[in-house]
Amino acid sequence: MKGSIRFEAVRKVYRWRGRRNRHETLKGAFFHRRLRSRRGTAEEHIALDGIDLEVNPGEAVALIGPNGSGKSTFLKLAGGILQPTEGTVEVNGRVTALIELGAGFHPEITGRENVLINGMLLGLDRREIESKMPEILEFADIGTFIDEPVKIYSSGMYVRLGFAVAVATDPDVLLIDEVLAVGDEAFTRRCLDRLARMRQRGVTMVLVSHDLDLVTGFADRAFYLERGRVVAEGPTDAVVARYRSDVAGDEVGGDLKASEVDVADADRRWGNGDVEIVNVELVAGTTPQRLVPSGSPCRLRIRYKVRRPVEDFVFGIAWHRADGAQVSGHNTDLAGLVPRRLEADGEISCVYDSLQLAPGDYLVDVAVHARDGLAYDYWRDVLRVRVTSAVAWPGVWAPPHRWESSEPLWDD
Amino acid sequence: MAVLRLLWRHRALVAVLVRRELDARYRASFLGFFWSLLNPLFLLAVYAVVFTYIFSPRFPGADPYPLFLFSGLLPWLFFSGAVLDGSLTLIDNGPLLAKVMCPPEIFPAVTVLSHLVNHLLALPILLAAMVVSAVAGLHPFPWTFWMVPLALIPWLLTTGGAVLAISVVSVHYRDMRDLVGHLLNLLFFASPIIYSLDGLEVPAVLHRLLALNPLTSLVAVYREVVFTGRVPSPMTWLMAFIVGIVSWWLGTRVFLRYRETVVEAV
Repeated sequence: MKGSIRFEAVRKVYRWRGRRNRHETLKGAFFHRRLRSRRGTAEEHIALDGIDLEVNPGEAVALIGPNGSGKSTFLKLAGGILQPTEGTVEVNGRVTALIELGAGFHPEITGRENVLINGMLLGLDRREIESKMPEILEFADIGTFIDEPVKIYSSGMYVRLGFAVAVATDPDVLLIDEVLAVGDEAFTRRCLDRLARMRQRGVTMVLVSHDLDLVTGFADRAFYLERGRVVAEGPTDAVVARYRSDVAGDEVGGDLKASEVDVADADRRWGNGDVEIVNVELVAGTTPQRLVPSGSPCRLRIRYKVRRPVEDFVFGIAWHRADGAQVSGHNTDLAGLVPRRLEADGEISCVYDSLQLAPGDYLVDVAVHARDGLAYDYWRDVLRVRVTSAVAWPGVWAPPHRWESSEPLWDD
Repeated sequence: MAVLRLLWRHRALVAVLVRRELDARYRASFLGFFWSLLNPLFLLAVYAVVFTYIFSPRFPGADPYPLFLFSGLLPWLFFSGAVLDGSLTLIDNGPLLAKVMCPPEIFPAVTVLSHLVNHLLALPILLAAMVVSAVAGLHPFPWTFWMVPLALIPWLLTTGGAVLAISVVSVHYRDMRDLVGHLLNLLFFASPIIYSLDGLEVPAVLHRLLALNPLTSLVAVYREVVFTGRVPSPMTWLMAFIVGIVSWWLGTRVFLRYRETVVEAV
């Protein structure tokens, strides 16, 4: 059946040599082979873990879930860009992936030539593209710029042309990865309108988005992915509601699941691995928490593993807000601690007598490195903490304080 | 064979991409496509002056030396240029591989073919130089010149194999490009391009080593056809074709071995 997608027991495992220092060198291949073989599975990332699902022709489904849950990997498998490690992926009909608009454009040649090449990459032949050219030009709405080199285009023109080519391929299956978020409002509206019309023609669509309102308005059915597994599927409203409550639940309870998701996302981590941070938890009371009342005592506990003993080491912590604003940075070197020798696995805690943070979301980076800055393990955004308070204090600092006056100005 | 079949299926795309490659290279330049002719012409002019007036190496059958050198250098430039670009071709086209579905073999093929086109554009210069030197009585005209396409087949196979292998390996090992640069340098001097193996006065061991260089037979075939004007012996042809076929075979094997992980690695 044209337009159907079937995943059967699909697993996708990324095995990446030297994930820490992403561009492996030949020297590294020889030098670190021993180190790596001992690390074993550290370089494996299971993106999808046993996915069974079917999408019927003409259906619009959405994939939702936290970052790193495997949504984009799913699209790449469905689009034939990646091959599954295990299981079978079956997609019938012509597939177009809207993953990055205008990904194949060459800056030096004209828009028209780029349309030709992009169209051919997407599987059209020259005649088909020429017959679709008016339609593409109309949607892209870039006028005479079509005969200018793409490098002088504005980013808006770029994505409009990219979208126009991609949808002109008359796909049976359209895979959409957050691309509607790239343009201005007018562009998004036009794209949605175009997609809606394609839906009426019976094009199967798979949408990945964090915009849950878009998802509920767009898809008939949704799949909720977490750590490479489908945890819920069904009518979009129900699945989105479940996801919303899970996200809210993560923020309320000391839920360890979410921190394991963070572990999987190795994009934010680097270092030579001599010392490895195993996990980081904020402990308030006796249990790890992700939700801490402002001003309460707590400790940040770092478990680490030593791959190779080191005598030069500094443990450091940086707090910042989700918008990137720095809040505080402290490390053992600044605290005047002189390293002796780090040779056995263990844990270290930074103890806060009172967490004087204003309510809001905070991200924590944790690192262990040499004094000259060489990272053994640097882990950005390893922990997300929500600080709560009955009152919404602005700013980042919430010092314990009181007001005094010479006259009784206030009621008791 | 799998690689060839796939390339044939996508031949229209490959052709368009080769065009784009050549177009983009000359797009912003004043003389445009003429550079493909001018580059070899300048090269030849410089050699002619340097090796006629400044110093003139003597090898049997290598007279006039500038033409001898040029006829060895042209196919070498095709080979080395393609190999050097090949180490970057998949990395440069990473966005396409990761975001659009397209088979990775296309890009090494485009690299090789666009260099081949450049080589073919330089051939008229070589031919003209041969005619001029024949008219001037410096060198008999090589009537075997028409066999160039045949002599290019082993070059194409060898280059194709090397580029296929190097393109995927450099995706996984990023320092490959530096290594390739050095290896090409070594290979250049180990091949009879600036010298001739006949009458080379070196120790017998070195002579034998140089003769073992797989490129030796390729250089010989090409040069005998376009410069010496002699039909290469069946043995030379055989050697050249064996080198080409083995290189292609090895290259495709390496390519297929790493093919699946290319998208993840770029």
